[in-house]
Amino acid sequence: MNESTIWIGEEDLVRNPDFIAANNSELNPVSLESILEDEKSGMVESNRRDFLKLLGFGIGAATLASCEIPVKKAIPYVIKPDTIVPGIANYYASSYVNGGDYCSILVKTREGRPIKIEGNALSSITKGGTNARVQASVLSLYDYNRIKFPSKLNQSQIAEVSWNDLDNELKSSFAASKNIRIVSSTQMSPTALQAVAEFCTKYPGSKHIMYDGVSSSALLDAGLQCFGERMIPEFRFDLAETIVSFNADFLGTWISPIEYASLYAKGRKIKADAPKMSQHTQVESHMSLTGSNADNRILVKPSEQSAAIAFLYNEVASKLGAATIPVIELNEKAKAAFKKLAERLVNQKSKSLIVCGNNNIGEQVLCYGLNNLLGNLGTTIAFNNVSYQRKGSDADVNQLLSDMKASIVDAIIFWNSNPCFDLPIASDFAQALANVKTRVSLNATIDETSALCNYLAPDHHVLESWGDVEAKKGLLSLIQPTINPIFNTRASGHSFLSWASSPNLNSAAEQPYYEYLKNQWERKVYAASGATGGFQDFWDECLHNGVFTIVNSTTTPLFKGDVSGATSKLGKPSGSALEISFIETVGIGSGNYANNPWLQEMPDPVTRCAWGNYLMVPISFDGDRKFIAFNNVKENGELIDLTIAGTKSSVGAVKQFGQMPGTVAIAIGYGRSIAGDCGTGVGTNFYPACKLVDGYFQYFNSEVEISQSSGTVEKHFACVQHHHTLGVTAIEKSSGQKFNADEAALVDDAFKGIAKGFQGSLTDRSVLRHSHLNEIKENIEKLKEERAEFQKLNSHTLYPGHEYTYNTGHHWGMHVDLNACIGCGTCTVACMAENNVPVVGKKEIARHHEMSWLRIDRYYYGDVDNPNVVYQPMMCQHCNNAPCENVCPVNATNHSSEGLNQMAYNRCVGTRYCANNCPYKVRRFNWYDFTTADLFPVNQFNVAGEKNQPFYSDNLVRMVLNPDVTVRSRGVIEKCSFCVQRIQEGKLSAKKESRTLNDNDVKTACQTACPTEAITFGDMNNKEGTLFKKIENPLNYIVLEEVNVKSVVHYTMKVNNRDENLDA
Amino acid sequence: MSYKGIFGTILFVFISIGALISAPDIEVGKSSFKNNCASCHNKNMKDPLTGPALGGSVERWAAFPKADLHNWVRNSQALIKAGHPRATELWNQFKPTVMTAFPNLSDDEIESIFLYVDGVYKGTYGPKPVAAVGGTQAPQDQQSGLSFWIYLIFILLVGLALFLWNLMSDLAYQMKLKAGDTTAKKQSVWQLMTSKTVISFVIFALVLFGGYTTVNNAISLGRQQNYQPDQPIKFSHETHAGLNKIDCNYCHDGARRSKQSLIPATNTCMNCHAAIKKGSQYGTAEITKIYASIGYNPSTDKYIDNYNNLTEDEIAAIYKKWIATTFAKDNNLREGAESAIRESDNQWEGIKNSLTSDTKSTIPGPIEWKRIHNLPDHVYFNHSQHVTIGKLACQTCHGKIENMPVVKQYAPLSMGWCINCHRQTDVKFTDNKYYDSYKTYHDELKAGTRQSVKVSDIGGLECQKCHY
Repeated sequence: MNESTIWIGEEDLVRNPDFIAANNSELNPVSLESILEDEKSGMVESNRRDFLKLLGFGIGAATLASCEIPVKKAIPYVIKPDTIVPGIANYYASSYVNGGDYCSILVKTREGRPIKIEGNALSSITKGGTNARVQASVLSLYDYNRIKFPSKLNQSQIAEVSWNDLDNELKSSFAASKNIRIVSSTQMSPTALQAVAEFCTKYPGSKHIMYDGVSSSALLDAGLQCFGERMIPEFRFDLAETIVSFNADFLGTWISPIEYASLYAKGRKIKADAPKMSQHTQVESHMSLTGSNADNRILVKPSEQSAAIAFLYNEVASKLGAATIPVIELNEKAKAAFKKLAERLVNQKSKSLIVCGNNNIGEQVLCYGLNNLLGNLGTTIAFNNVSYQRKGSDADVNQLLSDMKASIVDAIIFWNSNPCFDLPIASDFAQALANVKTRVSLNATIDETSALCNYLAPDHHVLESWGDVEAKKGLLSLIQPTINPIFNTRASGHSFLSWASSPNLNSAAEQPYYEYLKNQWERKVYAASGATGGFQDFWDECLHNGVFTIVNSTTTPLFKGDVSGATSKLGKPSGSALEISFIETVGIGSGNYANNPWLQEMPDPVTRCAWGNYLMVPISFDGDRKFIAFNNVKENGELIDLTIAGTKSSVGAVKQFGQMPGTVAIAIGYGRSIAGDCGTGVGTNFYPACKLVDGYFQYFNSEVEISQSSGTVEKHFACVQHHHTLGVTAIEKSSGQKFNADEAALVDDAFKGIAKGFQGSLTDRSVLRHSHLNEIKENIEKLKEERAEFQKLNSHTLYPGHEYTYNTGHHWGMHVDLNACIGCGTCTVACMAENNVPVVGKKEIARHHEMSWLRIDRYYYGDVDNPNVVYQPMMCQHCNNAPCENVCPVNATNHSSEGLNQMAYNRCVGTRYCANNCPYKVRRFNWYDFTTADLFPVNQFNVAGEKNQPFYSDNLVRMVLNPDVTVRSRGVIEKCSFCVQRIQEGKLSAKKESRTLNDNDVKTACQTACPTEAITFGDMNNKEGTLFKKIENPLNYIVLEEVNVKSVVHYTMKVNNRDENLDA
Repeated sequence: MSYKGIFGTILFVFISIGALISAPDIEVGKSSFKNNCASCHNKNMKDPLTGPALGGSVERWAAFPKADLHNWVRNSQALIKAGHPRATELWNQFKPTVMTAFPNLSDDEIESIFLYVDGVYKGTYGPKPVAAVGGTQAPQDQQSGLSFWIYLIFILLVGLALFLWNLMSDLAYQMKLKAGDTTAKKQSVWQLMTSKTVISFVIFALVLFGGYTTVNNAISLGRQQNYQPDQPIKFSHETHAGLNKIDCNYCHDGARRSKQSLIPATNTCMNCHAAIKKGSQYGTAEITKIYASIGYNPSTDKYIDNYNNLTEDEIAAIYKKWIATTFAKDNNLREGAESAIRESDNQWEGIKNSLTSDTKSTIPGPIEWKRIHNLPDHVYFNHSQHVTIGKLACQTCHGKIENMPVVKQYAPLSMGWCINCHRQTDVKFTDNKYYDSYKTYHDELKAGTRQSVKVSDIGGLECQKCHY
């Protein structure tokens, strides 16, 4: 060997010709090609010549534009309705319904178009809260993929017909049909159901079948067996001191999450002087949103859920002297935990609540039995206003399938349902559908089912329709239209009535279904209401309030469940080494929200992935430094082959803390094949992998095999977990040295043998602080000392005498209660809707280009194998000593006299120094013209991928934009403004009424959207205000207080009530 | 006639009448003018309107006895028929417009009117515009004085430079000669002008000047001060807001409660124009446009059923009939006279053009006004803040709208203009309880250390008050 050879690696020494060739070229040819290929999609291809052309065109156009200003028109009304004043928003009380999802809402309309949804505080169910799906529903109103007219579908050729012709044709078809089936999701409208009943009377062979995309059939059947009615009782999470949930994601997706979240938060908010909170144990295999909020998680495999309930039942029964049931095998760790849990439950009789989210009738009956033993019936489980938010029956839909296979169904009507996608039996269903002669779809968009129909009779969007809802017994709410139907659509109730040739439908009326609804209310609700005034007054009041309560008093029914009979229905542990569970995500549901880009773009609260479903795989920790992920998964998003019962698919894997070893989980509702421009082809469909067991759909599978990781990360894998992190440092146990946990980037690195635990107060940066309920006093003291130290350090200034005091006028501030925040992501979607935050799409998120002004950071702490979680909503902290402000070369960002960190878009030149200097990483840069604000269409951006135009360039979609907020153009920074448009509006209304500003005048979009009232905004100078009281809480801390930026957002310390006994 | 002469005449009239009865009162004249004359004669007395400008009419009639002028005012047609030379001259000028007869006006009242007319004409009556003119002129004088000195210094400097150059080149030439360079020549002016120093200086100056002009013009790009487009209806704010004193907020009812002031809807027009069917200036030509927009039949005083579904011919028939009938009646023609038909065709053509456009093909529907005041999309402006809370007069930003037959953009609507006003305007601080939270200012006002609170003091200059 030549002694003078200098080498870096072994490649140099072996003189590999490829390596040398590659090294000799300036750029790595392979990566360049891949970059170019990457750049092709979604962007204008450009070269130097194009640049020159555009430059020339730009100058020419600018010159022309400067010569003559185009004539703009001001077009007034001909006859102005006196309720509409352009420039002033009107709010209408209405209800949001989609299948079993319900929320009482106020719809904000401007100049006749709905632009934002707020919660209706008068509702006793949702109490002014909303969730992400409700917030995003306004965007699906302006979905350009909606069916625009009644039509006939033949070989995917759509032919428009008139409603009259459609009705006549269908009427004769129905008349000739012996068996008609109406297939819908859960329908809660008494009036629409009355219309269906009229239809069924007219055509005696017809039957209405309901099913839910994620079934609660067993829960309902258990209700029927135990209490004599197919319903869901009221779960009083606020009254329960111990909450045990068997796989029920009641904060995210289960039955009525808005209602449950608000009740749950009541029992979780902490008063520093009298600390008390409920104790929540979640029994599950994957980390669900609810599980992440729990104090303890008992890990059992999906197939062990039955055994777990049976074991707990026996423990409790034996302690209370009741009859026990045969034992099923369960893992030892869980057994030990349940023994301890049973002790606690027995000690807290009638103050606990046990819920079960599994679709297994045995488990559900046992669960009610357990509550019965513990005396919870009538206390934490109430029967006064039972819920009708799920009505689906698995048995019915299976019967339908066999009827269709036997060709005895002649006509079928799909009403807000997509059984060719969101059923485990979807492919059979689609095949059998060919046997049905007349297939009608009332669905709003072309989906997997509508595409196989031969008649389309599109329903209105909920914001265009009249209607009513009885989500819970006696708690009625009205739906009123807030815009004229955009397309030639018709209310489904109207369709049923006109097919039934109903004499109760006045077709000549301007709004026939409205008349019908009003009539129904006059006859039923008004008669039952005991109202003394006339009907019109009653109606007006109901319409104004949006809700009406019929008072009823029900005695708690006796428990009639057959506990010993239920044991035969329980599942047996599979004994399989690996099991997979199929879960519903907060955003996409059973797939019916797939075409809503706001929901696709909202990262999943737990996995933090957007635009797709990923396999959650467990990781294990060797106790000091090393993490061993399942099947060699090194990086999140690595593709892995998944074989379930012989069907193979390739999905990205995400390492998930809290995932039970021997289990994996993935979301259903993804992989829609026909869902519109945004939803088609996002993720993979796992409905076919769910099984039918004992007549119930089972959302797990034990016949699963998973390959070793392929090592390649999915293209454009969009996980925001490590985007915009706050620079968390940690201390290494062995060396005692600090290291930057961000730089190490991956979560598992952040766990590297940290001396005292994980992130938060245990590091030297005060991003998170948490405490156990029992240690709250000590931690308050510690916090006080630390804050005093910070404040002492911060009192030194280079500019004495330049103190901003904000002692006159307003000083805006915010308080976020981390104990109330459940991480559901509602605020992030509300923020997008309010502030015209652009949708950027998967690829851009993969490049850290998401635009959300408000993100929810998710942190783990505690036990590595079974950690606790803190969600921290992070938005601009409006620092009084803002580091972004003094680096801006053009003073585009500066401070207002009311303490706001202002951003003037038209001043911004896009240096991004501010984003670089922001310690909270909350500033976002417009890399493209995402919202088509620019004058010339250069580098516009297309999220849908299919269309040639950007998402927000569609005039229909643009109707959702808030006219009070500037649409930002390319090349400028944007960030949370504390909803300054709402601040200004609130100030104005106070001025108009010549009074001081109060708390109700200004509420930010995130604040009003929150179902748990975790966010409070207000004037810190107002000593009487709610905010002032909240910021005096000794549990409060300021994120990164030590860096002296003087943020005005206060967070409360996260308090958990983990029962160490259960961990033993 | 000289000013002295005019003054003498007025003085003479004044004294002679004053000596006879009571003196004619200029205030009486003002109100009489407004009640009787202002609909046809221009208020500024200088420009003709429907009738001639009244300024100087006393002088024009000076050759005839006073009674002639009075008779003319009371009944002009009689005087014309009598063949009075001045009357005939006027008739030839303004026929066929007939001056309304005012037989009830007394000599005294007529004299009062002319006193007022003269006062306004000569600027001796009313608020003197001199102050305003002076206000703007004074700095102009200063400015021109300043630029004179700048030019002078510039010329002197150029002269000095040329002188120095001459000196220098002479010296250089002499030195070269002394050094024995026989071929040496004195530098010519041409050589000077093409020298590197001068060329680069000129280029530098041009770039500087070009940049300055470009920046200045770029800043004003898109601004439309004095923009005064023709509107689809010749709506006169002078008639409505000026003469008839209709409150601005009556039609622009958004101004006091909303962001936008609102262009009134057609039904707002109908509140008055269901009764007022003919305009003072254009007769039926303009007001019929309102009717055609909303579907009101002025002949029957009823709204037309199913108006949106009528064909254009059907609509045309209704309104042409109305125009023709009215025209015939006004001109004492028989029903269906050819000239009336012609008139109705002409007017209908105008109505149709005004109510249809590239984007609107049918006559029924909204009137598409041309928008004059345009703010960029990134500017938030709220009328109610300024009108209801700031209690600003509309004229502050929109100018003397009551004097504008055709509206034009009065203010530049530039950011500098907004900011300036925010710096200078006092907040109605003590009247509104909202401002109670500004305790420091209240204390300072009480203590007398602060005279007033300007908009800028409560954050009126901050970016996010208008940009968000």
